[in-house]
Amino acid sequence: MDQLEERQIEVSRTFESPLELLWKAWTEPEHFMKWYGPKGFTAPTCEIDLREGGRHLWSMLSPDGRQMYYTGSYKEVVLMERLVFSDGMSDAEGNLIGMGEGMPESWDVTVTFVHADGKTTVTVSHVGYGASAEHARMGWEQAIDKLTAVLAKV
Amino acid sequence: MTPRTKDTLSLTFSALADPTRRQILARLANGELTVTQLAEPFKMTMPAVSKHLKVLERAGLIMRGREAQWRPAKLQAAPLREAADWVEQYRQNWEESFDRLDAYLKTIQNEEEDSND
Repeated sequence: MDQLEERQIEVSRTFESPLELLWKAWTEPEHFMKWYGPKGFTAPTCEIDLREGGRHLWSMLSPDGRQMYYTGSYKEVVLMERLVFSDGMSDAEGNLIGMGEGMPESWDVTVTFVHADGKTTVTVSHVGYGASAEHARMGWEQAIDKLTAVLAKV
Repeated sequence: MTPRTKDTLSLTFSALADPTRRQILARLANGELTVTQLAEPFKMTMPAVSKHLKVLERAGLIMRGREAQWRPAKLQAAPLREAADWVEQYRQNWEESFDRLDAYLKTIQNEEEDSND
């Protein structure tokens, strides 16, 4: 399992859209609010101060009406190439409130943009806590067949 | 997620952060092993292996037998599954965001085409 050392949570998607548009979707609130959040969620508020050290504060509204705020600061802003920002749960004013006991207050999210043949690939990855979370997933996948047998005996 | 779940998760994740402990778990996936058996492939003393086993036991990832001399270690699946589910949920959230982003981009690209007509 040594080769998994550098693994982290990583999600990638290729869009049939120009790079400029993807960059805008991630960095301009009017666009960001139109898509951020899982199915059934909306993003009712979004502030982005796009410069290294600048803050973001956005929120998601769940289908059952719970509004959750997330904040952090941009650590890297490389135009149409790469974004690195910290992200953690906060109150409406942007004070970090923690993501639960034993969890970090925030973690780093890296977003990369790669353009080829009229398509743009966006990759989101989480480091830190995400890395050990991914270990858990890989560990689980490796063991799952044998575990099913173990569980059957319990 | 309840606070209890988060607590269990952080214990699971910190236990899994160590490569030796992950290797121990991988070996236990094949069945119960004693400390002596577990120590064999590692260049490690038995007390060092015992220390790792204690961390794994505290995280609920393994169970130790009662027999004082052997105390074979056995893999416990539930916390590992919980952690894997958590990651899967996280990944799923991004996939769904990307679905929405894809739909949104199509909408604005169509609007641009329409206004160019």
